[in-house]
Amino acid sequence: MRSGEVGLERGDDGLTVVLIQGEHDLSTAPVLRSQLEQLISDGGPLVVDLTEATFIDSSILGTVLQARRDATEAEVGFAVAHGGGADAVERVLEITGLRADLPVHRSREDARAQALGAGTVG
Amino acid sequence: MATDFELQLPARAENVLVVRQAVSGVAEVAGMEPRRVADLKTVVTEACNNVVLHAYPDGEGPMEVSAEVTPDRIEVTVRDRGRGFHPSASDAGASLGLGLPLVASLSDSFAIRGGAGQGTSLSASFALVPAPASNGEKRPRASDELQMAIAPGDLVRPVLARVLGALAARAEFSVDRLSDTMLLGDAVSDHRPSDFSEGRVAVEIDDGDGTLDIRVGPLKEGGGERILSGMEIPGAGGSLKALAKSAEVERRGDAEYLVLEVAR
Repeated sequence: MRSGEVGLERGDDGLTVVLIQGEHDLSTAPVLRSQLEQLISDGGPLVVDLTEATFIDSSILGTVLQARRDATEAEVGFAVAHGGGADAVERVLEITGLRADLPVHRSREDARAQALGAGTVG
Repeated sequence: MATDFELQLPARAENVLVVRQAVSGVAEVAGMEPRRVADLKTVVTEACNNVVLHAYPDGEGPMEVSAEVTPDRIEVTVRDRGRGFHPSASDAGASLGLGLPLVASLSDSFAIRGGAGQGTSLSASFALVPAPASNGEKRPRASDELQMAIAPGDLVRPVLARVLGALAARAEFSVDRLSDTMLLGDAVSDHRPSDFSEGRVAVEIDDGDGTLDIRVGPLKEGGGERILSGMEIPGAGGSLKALAKSAEVERRGDAEYLVLEVAR
């Protein structure tokens, strides 16, 4: 039940996967926000993967949405993945409509394809 | 209606996790299915976020959480003593006003009461399969510490364990010290509720730099010594109290308390 952590995986293709792990809420949102801002400012494409998150709240959704806006403005590839993870995360994505609107991909590979500009949706 | 669980702690972002753990413990003991426990955690978190972000613009104040369990439902209330509810969350920036829609969508029913200058409460109700009922009285408090009161019965052990576990993990206790803390918590949980002045298991916890001060009580006269006696290990000549950095019976006003200090 320790508060959540954020891991980074950098690939040879220049894409960074931001792994959201454990419970994330108002207390961890500022750190996540600054990490995403830094990555977008660095300019490489990125995927935010929520699959290993056990809990996220509206402040984390807000942080991810803001990062997408920032990435769009900076013309940085950006996509979100969550597949087969915790109920609490799935329900929040569905209820808010973000699963379809963002969209949130069900596999990291689809998210990676979108972030790298291959245009895969859903 | 009886209040089965009460928790008061400072309205800080890092405390929302503690509330979430405690309330999910109540729900699991009450027999709520895991998917609905997940919904309850989200609803309680969003209600707490509102308190943390909006209730006390000029400083810090208490966040009060209570849960009432009946055979067919659980109702959780999150209350502040601040300036009132701000569902738009527009000045919070990050949440984008998603909090209240989540509360509305994931609870079976909810109500917001209060107004400017009188504090605000958000109550959310969830249907349950049959669950054990308990009793007790609600009593407002004010303190900088976490305060918790749990009706006697099945709730005590899992809820106290979850709260202690969350606080010990946050204080970066090692696995061994976390385990020691849980053993002490279980010893308190297993003590007879009749030794508590109000008939409910009452605990205050102050988390410092790598330490937890666990104040058990108010207790009846001699209750502190009886809890310590219960920690003795039959035949071994030892006691679980050795797991604490210190264990002392204190008097505060008319009440007696057992104070256990644990450190990482």
